[in-house]
Amino acid sequence: MLKKKLILKDPLKFLGFDSEENIATGSTGAVVARAGVGKTAFLVQLAISALLKEKNVLHISVQDLVDKVNLWYFEMFQNITKSFESGPAKKLWDELLTRRFIMTFENESFEFGKLQQRISELKTQNIFIPHLIILDGLSYNTSDFNELAQFRNFIKSHSMSLWFCVRTSIPFESDPDELLKHLGTDFISLFDTLLLMIPEKERIQVKKYIWGNQINAERPALFLDPSSMLIQENPS
Amino acid sequence: MNTEIQQVRNIGISAHIDSGKTTLTERILYFTKRIHRIHEVKGKDGVGATMDSMELEKERGITIASASTYCEWKNHEINIIDTPGHVDFTIEVERALRVLDGAVLVLCAVGGVQSQSITVDQQMKRYQVPCVAFINKCDRNGADPIRVIEQLKEKLNHNAVALQIPIGLESDFEGLVDLVSMKAIYFDGSFGENIRITEIPEHLRDFAEKKHEELIDAAALFSEDLTDAVLEEKDIPEKLIIEALRCGTLKRELTPVFMGSAYKNKGVQTLLDAVTLFLPSPLDVVNEALNLDRSEEKILLTGNPGDPLVALAFKLEDGQYGQLSYIRLYQGKLEKGDVVINSRSRQKVKIGRIVRMHADQMEEISRINAGYIGAFFGIECASGDTFTSPGLNVSMTSMYVPEPVISVAIKPSTIQSEHNMSKALNRFTKEDPTFRSYVNKETGETIISGMGELHLEIYLERMKREYNADIISGEPSVAYRETITCKSDFDYIHKKQTGGSGQYGRVAGYIEPISDEEYVFENKITGGAIPTQYIPACEKGFKSCLEKGPWMKYPVTGIRIVITDGASHSVDSSDMAFQATARGAFLQGYSKARPVLHEPIMKVVVETPGEFQGNVMGSLNQRRGIIIGSHDVGRMASIEAQVPLAEMFGYSTALRSMTQGKAQFTMEFSTYKQVPQNILDEIQKKNEKKVKNGS
Repeated sequence: MLKKKLILKDPLKFLGFDSEENIATGSTGAVVARAGVGKTAFLVQLAISALLKEKNVLHISVQDLVDKVNLWYFEMFQNITKSFESGPAKKLWDELLTRRFIMTFENESFEFGKLQQRISELKTQNIFIPHLIILDGLSYNTSDFNELAQFRNFIKSHSMSLWFCVRTSIPFESDPDELLKHLGTDFISLFDTLLLMIPEKERIQVKKYIWGNQINAERPALFLDPSSMLIQENPS
Repeated sequence: MNTEIQQVRNIGISAHIDSGKTTLTERILYFTKRIHRIHEVKGKDGVGATMDSMELEKERGITIASASTYCEWKNHEINIIDTPGHVDFTIEVERALRVLDGAVLVLCAVGGVQSQSITVDQQMKRYQVPCVAFINKCDRNGADPIRVIEQLKEKLNHNAVALQIPIGLESDFEGLVDLVSMKAIYFDGSFGENIRITEIPEHLRDFAEKKHEELIDAAALFSEDLTDAVLEEKDIPEKLIIEALRCGTLKRELTPVFMGSAYKNKGVQTLLDAVTLFLPSPLDVVNEALNLDRSEEKILLTGNPGDPLVALAFKLEDGQYGQLSYIRLYQGKLEKGDVVINSRSRQKVKIGRIVRMHADQMEEISRINAGYIGAFFGIECASGDTFTSPGLNVSMTSMYVPEPVISVAIKPSTIQSEHNMSKALNRFTKEDPTFRSYVNKETGETIISGMGELHLEIYLERMKREYNADIISGEPSVAYRETITCKSDFDYIHKKQTGGSGQYGRVAGYIEPISDEEYVFENKITGGAIPTQYIPACEKGFKSCLEKGPWMKYPVTGIRIVITDGASHSVDSSDMAFQATARGAFLQGYSKARPVLHEPIMKVVVETPGEFQGNVMGSLNQRRGIIIGSHDVGRMASIEAQVPLAEMFGYSTALRSMTQGKAQFTMEFSTYKQVPQNILDEIQKKNEKKVKNGS
């Protein structure tokens, strides 16, 4: 019951994502923002949205430890469910935990090859079959294009989907096109969807871009409340 | 005990399993000349480390009971408690930290901050114990103390500051650079007893300079004089840096980090220096007691030997000369022949023999002063009792005692064994508050409960060895609990008229689930529907139902009972009648409140080489575990899962065989969760079978 209510309330639908999934199977998306804007909080909300729709989420973090990532989920989930009764919320949290797996790496020991091997092991041994992968905290250099391209192919071939987090130092608030230019077409073309998080005066705008033959901005955008980092339910 | 109190240090050595606490303590005793020969924990000489005095400890190479000793270093007296690393014996760490003023947190240079380091850190936080960190095993393959410092910051939120950096690592580990004096220190001689101080090797100079600056920046936050000296670019005296670091450490806002290899006798003497320089003396610690004459108002204890006595008995041992009670004096002094009061029982007791401990040996002394740890003989008391001078009515706050999570039924094989077993149980339950025993009234079996499989295994073994009790133990069982899931009303009349005076009572109200407390009873009766004198009887009646739930016969928790109405009879109502009414009312309400069974869920952390990661995860999954996550660190991986305790029996053997003995795991209680239906059916079947078999 609570799950249904939360799905109906899910503000991600305002980004034009359908009710079933916020990223289609076999698709890849990137969340792009400058440091400290709230990428992890937003990614966790994307993950919780998928978990509610009974998708298995593998959250990979190359910066935070398991406990810290778990705490992100717990706090976001509590914020999302604070207007509901605590009993059903606790039960739902226990249920979501069974569909989420956190995998963390130290920055220097992270390799895409190793990650692919770990995911394959999880799948073949039937330990965890991920539908959505969240990859957060990787200090990624856009020139390491080949590795990411290979990982994208791996995602597609295993019928999974991916949200990839990109931290940028480019001040693109006034001109997002400048950022897109900087990222380069090769890099951008790896993703079917690009979500740009742009801090405004009192909120954070999430702007969606779709890759066709070229990148196109889609409307309407979403907004995040910077105090709770929750997506606002009414985007207007 | 002639040392000035400022020169005394009461410290604990705590860490994750196998980090080298006992090895480090052995070196400390050697370098302070308390012992003249080093014996290794699992040494070939078969003697075992000094602090592991129990036969079982020597055999298994683990510390089971905390042991206390004392030594002298550079005009300071250091009282040390070496604590076990295994979480099953966590009460030993808990009570040691309750009475200690400072601690050395030992970390493995390879394993870093491990699961049990986190538990120990939480215990230190609970009792506000300042600590220094010692990164041990720098000589091991894969040692990386700088990474461990980062983990101290990330995982434990410590403001960890390196006071040393290693000269070489792994098999090339040669010595240390002291970042305060900016000198290199080498430990020469066959036991590292000769300290050689030289200039910093050229290849480490830049790194040492960088770390020295970081150290000064961190220390400057605690000293204006140091800040001024830095800003004015003056030469900074070492003393100023040490004072600032000490100030930060005592406030628990900074953790100085030292390193070395206790096994290779490197870095131990510098750690001893650190204990004297940075950890508090008894006078530096604020200790409070509760004034029982003034509704438990907090009072500060002075630490002055001239004031009336306040002492805490924190650990008991039953020996051949009667009960040995370990005490810590917070105020006053204790002499042979003194008459003191046990503030719990208000009994006057006369102090007989007073001793101070060195592992399993003791030295008779005539007096213990405030700030010291000692022990006395022959006085019956419980762990956590406060002793005071006559005329003073105060109590120290108690320590945290976790609830047991695992039980096993035991049966003596002979009448002699039965007698011996009962003696052993009497002693062990008195010594260890996390070890309990009771007789199941229905089956007549003796049940022992504790913190884990190892905990119970050790006690069974000790009964056999120390008491010659031949015992047959059953399958371990977990501490299930019943609870309710919805609110339900009750309105029950108890009426009995069978000749003589009758019984009458009526109780109405409701029961409902609560999540944050075990049991709450509320009386919301207005207008005297039930006379006030019968309310305690009602509560007693309800409480008696909670010990054994009406559904599955397990204890009932997480329940609020509210009475709102009732009736009484001027002749036939009595305490007994209302107790019976409450029991009837509970049964009525409970059956409608959709009871469920809860089981203990453990947080399990497995540290394994990466190649076994998949197998380990599979094994946890098979045991109904939810894998929270995995963390890759170099060649090792640590897997965290939540697993029902009922599924964890025999896991250590399974893990050993699946990882060629290369993985280890720790397990501690996390929460209670509802038992899934299929498992519930199995438990019900098992219980029915037990009843049928009459066992």
